[in-house]
Amino acid sequence: MITRKAPALIQGSALPRRTFLRGLGTAAVGLPFLDAMAPAFAASSVPGKPPVRMAFFYLPNGMIMDAWNPDYEGRLCELPRSLKALEPFKEDILQLGNLTHNTGRALLDGAGDHGRCSGSYLTGVQVKKSLVEIKNGISFDQIVAQKIGGQTRFASLELGMDDARQAGDCDSGYSCAYTNNLAWRSGTQPLPPTLDPRALFERLFGAGQPMTPEQHARQLKYRRSILDFVTEDTHKLESNLGPTDRRKLDEYLSAIREVERQIQRAETDNRQVDPQMDKPYGIPADFGDHFNLMSSMIAIAFQADLTRIVTFMVTREGTSRPYRELGISDGHHPLTHHRNQPELMEKVRKIDEYHVKQFADFVDKMKAAKEGDRSLLDNCMIVYGAGLSDGNAHLHEDLPTIVVGRGGNYFKTGRRIVARRETPMCNLFLTMMDRMGVPMEHFGDSTGRLVGLDLG
Amino acid sequence: MPQPGAAKPAAGAFFDTDFSTIDSVLATALLYGLQGSNDCRVAIISLSRPNLAVAGFADAVERFYHGPAATFAQLPPIGMITEGSPGETSPAFVAPFQKKKPDGTPVYKNEVKTVIETGDPNTLFRNYLEAQYDQNAFFVLGGPATNLAGALEFPGLKDLIEAKVRCLVVAGGAFPAGPAEARIKADIPAARKLFAEWPTPIVAAGFEIGAALEFPGASIDKEFAEAAPDNPVADAYRAYQAMPYDTPSWAMAAALYAARPKEGYFQVSDPGKIGVDRDGRTSFAASEKGSHRYLIVDPAQKDKIIQAYVQLASAKPQPPRRLRAAAGQPDGGAVAGWVSDPRRTQA
Repeated sequence: MITRKAPALIQGSALPRRTFLRGLGTAAVGLPFLDAMAPAFAASSVPGKPPVRMAFFYLPNGMIMDAWNPDYEGRLCELPRSLKALEPFKEDILQLGNLTHNTGRALLDGAGDHGRCSGSYLTGVQVKKSLVEIKNGISFDQIVAQKIGGQTRFASLELGMDDARQAGDCDSGYSCAYTNNLAWRSGTQPLPPTLDPRALFERLFGAGQPMTPEQHARQLKYRRSILDFVTEDTHKLESNLGPTDRRKLDEYLSAIREVERQIQRAETDNRQVDPQMDKPYGIPADFGDHFNLMSSMIAIAFQADLTRIVTFMVTREGTSRPYRELGISDGHHPLTHHRNQPELMEKVRKIDEYHVKQFADFVDKMKAAKEGDRSLLDNCMIVYGAGLSDGNAHLHEDLPTIVVGRGGNYFKTGRRIVARRETPMCNLFLTMMDRMGVPMEHFGDSTGRLVGLDLG
Repeated sequence: MPQPGAAKPAAGAFFDTDFSTIDSVLATALLYGLQGSNDCRVAIISLSRPNLAVAGFADAVERFYHGPAATFAQLPPIGMITEGSPGETSPAFVAPFQKKKPDGTPVYKNEVKTVIETGDPNTLFRNYLEAQYDQNAFFVLGGPATNLAGALEFPGLKDLIEAKVRCLVVAGGAFPAGPAEARIKADIPAARKLFAEWPTPIVAAGFEIGAALEFPGASIDKEFAEAAPDNPVADAYRAYQAMPYDTPSWAMAAALYAARPKEGYFQVSDPGKIGVDRDGRTSFAASEKGSHRYLIVDPAQKDKIIQAYVQLASAKPQPPRRLRAAAGQPDGGAVAGWVSDPRRTQA
């Protein structure tokens, strides 16, 4: 049962953008932008144009900055070591320098840079140092979500991969609520990230009712895909599409199927490897697999316009996760306090490279997905960065920040732009809010918009 | 939120100047000397004219006093306004960079090549004031009031100044009356706004103070040279005009009083209100409720002041004292204690 009926096509009008393939009350699969929807972007901030989406990929514990910052400004030439995996996409990147989060600094509150830097990352507010009296500000993604979130199935999505504890001491008297969340609906209400790919998958493609364990088991037993439930709708839709749209739809549904297959594989593996493991059931043991699943679903969610706002806390701030995938058994956080010892710094560089490599695979997907005459990536602003620059010294200036995508043909990408020293990160957020159609005069500790990013 | 039981650190010093006279350069050295004696911690040096050569020199001075281990990125940026006239670039700001070591390499490196290596003064004032305890910072103005008047218009900054700053000491004007003084005349509307709206007490070190207290140029080749053969302040002094010469000390007097107000170096007027007329002449109207005062030279203290100038300005570089060692930090070893620098985690 296609919720917005295909016959509209036959009558010569456009397929509604928010068309879902539905089936048996268990599935609701949104669609990518098809040519048949051409004039159907009335819900975007600019009528007739695809909507702009934004996402944040947050990395903890800072970076090794000598492998992150190019030693030049202007047009991006050879990328520094940590960003090498993004070389094929450098024309889609803005590499930003000197952005600062002053509210992440001590400011008389003593130790706890990890707790502050993640807590304030999207809020621009100095968080209250407390384990119980949580006090932050609304994050700017949620300001945008509250304004435009009604135009999509999900106002925003909050994802993570590491630790969703919401209480306890995660850094020198700062609650885990600060280190484990990026999005804040209000000053006291963080939005915990979804860690489990299965939970995210069902949220994106389920009919709104979470499956019972019995339903899961039955689905797994019979190896049924969520797409099997929408076969009838799919065929009905395909019969009304041109060859280009049919190919696009096929690729899109294949991507969903692949995600589903990976989740099923992870579930099977987890049961075989360690039935007692404390991670949620569908979380792959391999970091790269987990990242790939979560980021693939971000791409699909953007492609289907299920949401326009995603925050992805790749691992929680201050994490001491080891990277055995790279042969690194030391915890990430202790490693970043390398005291300038070359061998420890080298390990952190490898981790930084590894993270970017996973991200590059996501960018590749976004770039490959077409949306009208552009790529999906062109209509997005994907911020990849950290709340600390030098994790060893806990510095909050010159934060490692790249923006990937053109924000709807607005950003003049392929460049490194260095702002004046101490320029607030919130200035970038103000510019992004403009692009999302939610302009504000002031946010956090902003002093104005970040200039020089656009094509003008 | 101050840490329970934590000692209050020395006051944060904010020095805004145009470096139009060598006195302002010496005042910078004096403030760093006062940092060495734990009378203050130099937070921000800001320029009230858009001159990259001068900003580069100020940065070199900052790096000289922080020692060779401090990298450019680790130091507070030099604040610099980006509008207005760059003004004249004295040889004092160029010559030090031409000085070479025996191996031919430059003694001082100029790291400020473009405006991005500087910071917006208002943003720096805000960020660095937020790291100060209440009433534990002071401003010294050694140039036109352009930047400080602008700060009063920056969102939230006036309230922050009122909370954090105990005093502004202005090197400028003439008291109790006199002709229009150069620093006031350089931006009369800004000076009028500053004296009308600045939210903390103001003390002025007028033209007559600087004229009465000449810094002895002979100390450049004696005390300065003995402390550090390569000192950018001394090299700038030598290049500013033909040696030997002495120089008036308006900004030095202002800095000395700001950091050591109770030392008795100067007499201070009764309270009142300083006004600036449309020609730039300053006036003083005594008033019990007034929050302005001006410094008066005490002839008996003159030698003591000159001695303090030389001793402090020529002192060997001393980084700000730490409140506690960095070791054993519960978060794994963050650098601790640089309280006047918001970038440093306070223990």
